[in-house]
Amino acid sequence: MPGSLTFENVGMRFRMYRERVTTLKEAVLGRFRHLRTADEFWALRGVSFHVGPGESVGLVGHNGSGKSTLLKIAAGVLRASEGRVQVEGRVSPMIELAAGFDPELTGRDNIFLNGALMGHTRKEMERKFDRIVEFSELGEFIDMPVKNYSSGMYARLGFAIAVDVEPEILIIDEVLAVGDERFQAKCMDRIRELKGSGCTIFYVSHAMETVAELCERVIVLHHGRVEFDGAPAPAIARYRELQGFVPHATTRAG
Amino acid sequence: MMALVGSVQAVLRYRELLALLVARDLKVRYKRSTLGMLWTLLNPLLQMVVYTLVFSTIMRIGIEGYPVFLLAGLLPWTLISVGSVSASMSLLGNQSLIRKVAVPQAVYPLAAVGSKLTDAVLSLPALAILAIALGRPPGVSWLFVPLAFLLAAAFTTGLALLFSSLSVFFRDVRHLIDVLFQIWFYVTPVIYPVSFLENLHPALRMALALNPAAPIVRMFQVTIYEGRIPPAGLVGLATLAAAVSLLAGGAFFVRSEDRHIHNF
Repeated sequence: MPGSLTFENVGMRFRMYRERVTTLKEAVLGRFRHLRTADEFWALRGVSFHVGPGESVGLVGHNGSGKSTLLKIAAGVLRASEGRVQVEGRVSPMIELAAGFDPELTGRDNIFLNGALMGHTRKEMERKFDRIVEFSELGEFIDMPVKNYSSGMYARLGFAIAVDVEPEILIIDEVLAVGDERFQAKCMDRIRELKGSGCTIFYVSHAMETVAELCERVIVLHHGRVEFDGAPAPAIARYRELQGFVPHATTRAG
Repeated sequence: MMALVGSVQAVLRYRELLALLVARDLKVRYKRSTLGMLWTLLNPLLQMVVYTLVFSTIMRIGIEGYPVFLLAGLLPWTLISVGSVSASMSLLGNQSLIRKVAVPQAVYPLAAVGSKLTDAVLSLPALAILAIALGRPPGVSWLFVPLAFLLAAAFTTGLALLFSSLSVFFRDVRHLIDVLFQIWFYVTPVIYPVSFLENLHPALRMALALNPAAPIVRMFQVTIYEGRIPPAGLVGLATLAAAVSLLAGGAFFVRSEDRHIHNF
């Protein structure tokens, strides 16, 4: 079934070396010593959930709770140490927009490079090109090297590419923190549009308002484990309880 | 073996990305240099002038048409050495991408080799002109030059995969390979003809006969400089060297690919 994501008892282990072995000499001389001092750290453990086609699921958790690790496994960047991961459908990871930009190349060249990184052919990207440029509002700047772009221009181009690749699963990680309010609103509109068209959305944010608005289900991660999986309101309450934090009545949440 | 086949298929799916990465490398490299692509030609030509001065006027190696002989050997050697050295840093250099985008990691070392292969192919016309000027015009034997390039590229790719992966685990690999390629250069018949090795002690000669780069380089010297169709024995040896390098490098890379990200 396209657009589904299944995690079964997934764990991700990182080895933490007290002193990292990075040279041959150290590896040879410290061959056995370094094995003893390697600490294991489980960034995720026993994580199971299923996201069905067309679902919009939020993922929240404190800093270091394992959100990024989970997203990287879903995007195929990291391979889980244990458990089973099944991703069906074309994933468009918006993990840090513009990750694939080469500063020396123009915006135009970067659109094609980014498209290729996401597995698109040149023909497909040529078809999407005008739409991407229009959405990004870059105009003639598209033929300038991106190193001369402002951070807002960077993010706009990155977002424009990510949402134009017709994903079946869209992974969004804190991308709306950049760009001005008007552009953020435009991005949210585009995300809602994708949601309306049946795209599966996996949304990670610290902005609880947006999570509550966009997702019908929220998963709370805490120290690498799933603490809660259910409706947004109780999930957000649980998240805040775990953090020991209640937002001030007069300030906006997030 | 199955893993290797799967990885090859994965890389093939990303061939357009590979082409774009090669184009990116060439574009970035030649931007803001007035002579641009011309440097690809000037570099080996200047090297040739220096070696020709040293070896035909000072050391009197006594080979007819020495510049052609030298360039024919330098062409594959530069591909092998510069390709491997630049590929060795390709994973470390692209680590920010590898951490975020899931594409087969082999595309990065392959793109490094592809860019050096482009350089080598582009310097072929200059070599042809030089060969004509020195009375060795390209003939039928040049039809085997593409085969020679294919084998040299496959050989380099194997080394590139091995070194790029190794240098993720051990950062001093890149210093080691600098030294390795210097020694390797002098034991490979590039600046001197293979006949020079015949006077050596038999044990030493046996050891040098195992040099896998020698038949690859020889393929170019035979077809371009000697103007002969390469004998089957030579083609067989060069193919063996290329296949072993590619399979060993590929197998190593596939086995260690998932662990790279933990060692950046």
